[in-house]
Amino acid sequence: MTETMAPAAGTDIPPTDGRLVDSELAYRVQQFYFREAELLDDGRFADWLEVFDDDLFYWAPLRTNRLRRQAALSVGAQGEAAYFDETKESLAWRIRRYDSGMAWAEDPPSRTRHLISNVTVHHQSDGTLSARCAFLVYRNRLQTETDIYAGGRTDILRIQPDGGFKVARREIMFDANVLQAKNLSTFF
Amino acid sequence: MSTEDSCPSKANPAIGRLPRPASMITNVDVSALVDTDGGMIDRSIYTDRGLYGQEMRRVFARSWLFLAHESQFKKPGDFFTTFMGEDPVIVTMDKTKTIRAYLNSCRHRGVRLCRADAGATKMFTCTYHGWSFDLAGALQSVPNEKAYPEDFDRKDWSLIDVPSLATYKGLIFGNWDPNAEPLEESLGDMRYYMDAMLDRDPEGTEVMGGVMKWELEGNWKLAAEQFATDWYHVNMSHASALMVMSPTGRGPKAEIAATPGRQFVAPNGHGAGFPTHPKSRFDAGPVHEYYDYPALRERLGDAAVEGPMTTGHATVFPNFSYLPVNGSIRVWHPKGPDKIEVWAWILVDKSMPDEVKDAQRLYNLRTFGPSGIFEADDGENWSEVQAISHGFVTNSVPLNFQMGIGSERNDGVYPGQTSELYSDAAGRSFYKHWAGLMNTPAWHEQGQPGQ
Repeated sequence: MTETMAPAAGTDIPPTDGRLVDSELAYRVQQFYFREAELLDDGRFADWLEVFDDDLFYWAPLRTNRLRRQAALSVGAQGEAAYFDETKESLAWRIRRYDSGMAWAEDPPSRTRHLISNVTVHHQSDGTLSARCAFLVYRNRLQTETDIYAGGRTDILRIQPDGGFKVARREIMFDANVLQAKNLSTFF
Repeated sequence: MSTEDSCPSKANPAIGRLPRPASMITNVDVSALVDTDGGMIDRSIYTDRGLYGQEMRRVFARSWLFLAHESQFKKPGDFFTTFMGEDPVIVTMDKTKTIRAYLNSCRHRGVRLCRADAGATKMFTCTYHGWSFDLAGALQSVPNEKAYPEDFDRKDWSLIDVPSLATYKGLIFGNWDPNAEPLEESLGDMRYYMDAMLDRDPEGTEVMGGVMKWELEGNWKLAAEQFATDWYHVNMSHASALMVMSPTGRGPKAEIAATPGRQFVAPNGHGAGFPTHPKSRFDAGPVHEYYDYPALRERLGDAAVEGPMTTGHATVFPNFSYLPVNGSIRVWHPKGPDKIEVWAWILVDKSMPDEVKDAQRLYNLRTFGPSGIFEADDGENWSEVQAISHGFVTNSVPLNFQMGIGSERNDGVYPGQTSELYSDAAGRSFYKHWAGLMNTPAWHEQGQPGQ
């Protein structure tokens, strides 16, 4: 199966050369994502960090309401305010906070469920894979506090010698204008 | 670029044109709810729906409210939409490059006129019936105008102007009171503390693209008061963030945690607190390296550089707050007594090289903002104040604001009255000013029955 794939809105990841991966590789990528979701939902953030390559760029732009003729501006640009604009090191810094025993936003810890779907994976001309997916992250906290974060992700994946993957780049597109949550204390 | 001077003018006759029966509006004397001498606050001021309505009428409709930063408007037609209290407003630059602000509601049937957060336009055209307004707020076209009565005059149906607009060093404020005290007078000594952030660079400041927006459970005063008066919470609330930021990873040294400092206490509700140290510095490495501290001492004075220029907190009454160390400027938009919508901008000096601006941006959004390692824990505390505060007994037990009672003085170094770094003095002053406004009829109440 071959098709051209337009990049996700707002992304500067280049379009692929059009080759959808075969079912075996697609299956492996999906399992990789499901495993990643399990790590987050199990609170194993340090292990989660290892899905990323060392030169990671992890970015979640703001999304604004724009007049239709200015719709190109509706996704924040790089270099602007953002929900996340991270390296592997800065993510590690965020995660270390939870080990202090005094990160009150997650104490007692929230219950989360990261649902990942709509996975499409394409070959990139440089040998990497580009993968898009949709996510729905449910967070339930304390008695009845509930947040739902919905959005899409576009990743660049590097295939590892052992057949696994490392995420080199992740763009997270929250489907939100005013974030309807008091914080972002989980990851995506 | 200019803003209209806040010259005295009459209130817009359209506001309150149909007089409301007195029975619709109840104003409560709040004197008993705010005991600033004893340092106690009644929890109902954070939860009561009636008091919230009174706040909209008597606090938000007559205070200078932060709207936007001048750098968001470069050419005529650039616009930004925001709120004053719960009133939606469009801020725009008109053809004469004057900043204007209008109620974002069509004069015909009241639809929100502009639905975009920001952009550029020539006209604001209502999507309901097509009434169209120019950048000066004038009604320019009305479909099927011939069907209206002969005395229908488009001039009578202009957008509702925010009558008082003024800027202070790049920050645009608006006030619904046509005879508002001038902004600079209202800021008073607070200007000195603001200058330590706004006037480091002769070229001034600008905001980087985008406004972070999120909502949380909590009354707007919880956040505004904290930024005015509360250094006390830092060591506990932000213990985890301080730990990861400290060089050892084990938290700040005792002498840093026990740092001396001052808290500015304005009579009209503003407040600012800051540690004082000869080596006060910016946290982000490239920002620290960029600044020429001796030159800043020349420009702002030693006391500003050692105190309010870097680490600290501040609120301009009622709901504009900022943190000079990371350039976070924010508005706590009230959304009912139980909800706040936070809007946070990233402020940088115009002359900073791009890589320094970027370092400040990253430091800002990683520490404050919805994913910020400091901010996340503030939100948790505020929502846990609010979530339980509707219990009858809970609500009937006053909160404590007694730290540093009687400590305000002229310290001979910092302008105005100051208290200790760890003090509730600016909080007490915040609530005293709030109560004064709540108990005094506002401009829109003159001549109305039953006030």
